[in-house]
Amino acid sequence: MTWLKLVEGYMPMQMISELAGSILVFALVNWALNRSGMGIPKFWAGVGVWIYIQLYLKYRIYPPIPFSVRAIYGTVSACGIFMWVSGSEGEWQEFKRPVLNVMDGISGFHRGMRTVALIVIPLALGGFAYNSFLPSFEEPIELRTVHPAPPATTKVHGKTFVLQVVENPYRVNNEGKYDQAYTDARIVEQAMGRLMKDVNNPDYNPWDPNAEGYIKYVREGGEIFFQNCHFCHGDNLNGRGLWAYAFNPIPANFTDAGTIAQLQETFVFWRVSKGGIGLPGEGFPWASVMPPWEQHLTVDEIWKVVMFEYWHTGYYPRTWD
Amino acid sequence: MSNSRYGTKVARLGVCVGVSVMLGLGLPVGSVAQEDLPEGFKQQGLPAPPPAEQIEAGKRVYFTKCVWCHGVEGAGDGPGAVRLWPRPRNFNAGTFKIRHTASGQLPLIDVDLFETVEHGLPGSAMPSWEGILTEQQRKNVLAFVTTQLVQDRSWQDEEFEELFVLQLDQLTPKPNTPESIKRGSELVVEKKCIECHGLEGRGDGNAFNLKDDWGFSIQPADWHKCWNFRGSRQDPYNVENIFRTFSTGLNGTPMPSFADNTSVDERWDIANYVNSLCEREQVIEAPQGEVTDEIAQTFSTSQPLQIDPLTDKPKSNFVIPSKYVEGELPTDEHDERWNLIPRRWIAMGGQITHKPRNFVNRIDDMWVQALYNDTHISFMFRWDDRTKSIQEDEVDWDPTEVNLGDYGVEEQAPQGSTFAEDPFHQESIAAKQKDGYAVYNDGVAFQFPIKWQELPAPRKPRYFWGDETFAVDLTKWTADGTLGVYEGTGWDQDLTELDFQEEVEVVKAEWADGRWTVIVKRPLKGDYEEVAYLEQGKYIPMVFFAWDGHNGDVGRKMAVSAFYYLVMEPPIPLSTYVYPGLITVGIVIVEGWVLGRRANRRKAKDQA
Repeated sequence: MTWLKLVEGYMPMQMISELAGSILVFALVNWALNRSGMGIPKFWAGVGVWIYIQLYLKYRIYPPIPFSVRAIYGTVSACGIFMWVSGSEGEWQEFKRPVLNVMDGISGFHRGMRTVALIVIPLALGGFAYNSFLPSFEEPIELRTVHPAPPATTKVHGKTFVLQVVENPYRVNNEGKYDQAYTDARIVEQAMGRLMKDVNNPDYNPWDPNAEGYIKYVREGGEIFFQNCHFCHGDNLNGRGLWAYAFNPIPANFTDAGTIAQLQETFVFWRVSKGGIGLPGEGFPWASVMPPWEQHLTVDEIWKVVMFEYWHTGYYPRTWD
Repeated sequence: MSNSRYGTKVARLGVCVGVSVMLGLGLPVGSVAQEDLPEGFKQQGLPAPPPAEQIEAGKRVYFTKCVWCHGVEGAGDGPGAVRLWPRPRNFNAGTFKIRHTASGQLPLIDVDLFETVEHGLPGSAMPSWEGILTEQQRKNVLAFVTTQLVQDRSWQDEEFEELFVLQLDQLTPKPNTPESIKRGSELVVEKKCIECHGLEGRGDGNAFNLKDDWGFSIQPADWHKCWNFRGSRQDPYNVENIFRTFSTGLNGTPMPSFADNTSVDERWDIANYVNSLCEREQVIEAPQGEVTDEIAQTFSTSQPLQIDPLTDKPKSNFVIPSKYVEGELPTDEHDERWNLIPRRWIAMGGQITHKPRNFVNRIDDMWVQALYNDTHISFMFRWDDRTKSIQEDEVDWDPTEVNLGDYGVEEQAPQGSTFAEDPFHQESIAAKQKDGYAVYNDGVAFQFPIKWQELPAPRKPRYFWGDETFAVDLTKWTADGTLGVYEGTGWDQDLTELDFQEEVEVVKAEWADGRWTVIVKRPLKGDYEEVAYLEQGKYIPMVFFAWDGHNGDVGRKMAVSAFYYLVMEPPIPLSTYVYPGLITVGIVIVEGWVLGRRANRRKAKDQA
């Protein structure tokens, strides 16, 4: 279903509303058919809806959800359908009837069906059992803490930074004072595209020849980003860079509300300076290819690139209060 | 570079001459009789200029998103450009590669350029902007780029511009029958495609002397990796993309249009053949590009690889299965027993964690297979490399030394001035020319943790040659024939040679038609304290490394993979067959019991 995209970040909502919507459509169709006297037998309606939900979960959702999770959804949806078909004694009888008819073999057709079912059910369950006994080697699931607790202090290029008190020296107003409100007003718009607010105003456009102070530092940070970071974190800072496909863990998506938007700027400074190798054990330092940027960049360059990331994604760094 | 009759150069240099000749002959300028157009093309009018507000809105998009690589003037020289290969597009000359228009002409803005922005250009840093920018924003930015940054030409220039458009919608693709594929394989020889793209289409023909209009090094496409085709439009196995590129050529590159000297029918045959070469689930070999009827049949029925929509590359699987075989392990790639196990696609990125970083990575994937017997395990590595690189000069360092900065092995400077202006600077390779830099050895390596059995899960030695606490054993082969097994204790720690290397063997190492095949055999067990002791049925962490000597790869400058797991699958135990059998019998008994009860109840009911 490529014509209808799953929107990043809204997938659960989309899934629930699509499923609810299609079940509503089924209910309407069922009602209309009943009205016109061509009602589908309750048994086949129930089985059909259940199969639809299974197919939806298997083929619509991407990345695919594991079998165990689908099994849980399958059980839950089976319970829901059971409640629907057994709403009243009459409905429950109606639902059971096709099954009982086959068991009793009331006609030649039903006897044929019974023979088929008697053969297929043991074979299918035996095959299922064989598959689950067959040794299989799936990718092991290893859960990693993406944002582990930062240390109290970090030493970069010989200087100790206390993460609770240190401030980004480039996040300044036109008087050169640290001013978060001033800089927050100059980041990109939070609307689709996250574009700069005014391309003809040197207060908002880092590329304006007259840009000064904060907005000029943003451009300098961007230059560093596009010479060093975009290979993994991507041209749109969404973690889909040129080589993102080759690495595991995958690069962080800064446009996601769960990464830098959740973090203090000093945390990002620490993560950038120390890289993957500087993570505590729960962050899998052995697997991350994130460079310890202190090996490649100066302290000033790191502060600027951190500030650029907030500017470009339109997020405010979290503050301590 | 373009050698078609509609070439850019022709358009620019011969414009005055051409116009005066045409005027002299009394021909109307800017329109051509339909029969003069190549087959499948139709003339189309120039687009209307975009409104000023749209250009202004596009400027806001451009300076937020695009300027970082494409530059303030759109000359493809933004801050990102210095470390990119392929380079970002220079818009100024109006030269665009992926088009429906005839060679040398401007592209269609609302089709060609729009699709480039929508789908990105795989194999380059240009991402897909769909879902990031709205459709309107994408149209706006094109209005800005095509009016303000394309400077040498104009879509409004009625006098000099015309658009002959490939009518792809109205052409039905020819089915990829074995006959069509076979004919395509003959046509690529006849039309000299193989001169650049190589006998087997891995882009290894005239690979290292090609340049684009700006003098930057450019390489012929590797037909085996269609997901890297710039014009693949996030639909890499679609033959129409190949047909389009082949019909219109790639402006600004040595790839010409073949519209004039091939019929539409021939173009479909070639496109079908090129498309069939793109890697499939099944391994299909056509040595030297010789396609027999049997091979053509296999090509035409084989399944494409699954493409991961999140990355637009083949899907990764981090488990490398290995199967037990009786007797001697395979000695070459043709051994039937390799078919016992699936080959795994290993995605590789440039090593950009520690200096010298490899910004211009040329080995972006590798295929791996493994088989084992009672005593040994064999790994077969196959990867595409356009050039066979063997170091000629003695180097000053030992194979165990890793910190090569002292010997002048450096990474590309951030500002790129030396890189851009000095053709003999070692780092100029990507964007400039082939002479003037050292050629090192091609190579491949893999690492296992030593004593991995004792690692507290999920702890592993660092991917980059281990760490102080947990060491790795690194098996490394280089194209000069050196094979070593080393102990690694960190990315910046010199390696230590292990005696185990005496027992490891390169069974085969061959470069042919743009591809290396290297088979390495090593004992399953060595000294437990010194090398990884490989056991059945366990997940053994593994990392891969590769070097392209013509790319200046040496030491830490290389391609690297994520962690993979080697699993030596044990023989299937008896219980796998016994229990399902018992379950099946049990269910039959239950069925009999249920039906019997039901029948009895009905009987009782009937009697009552």
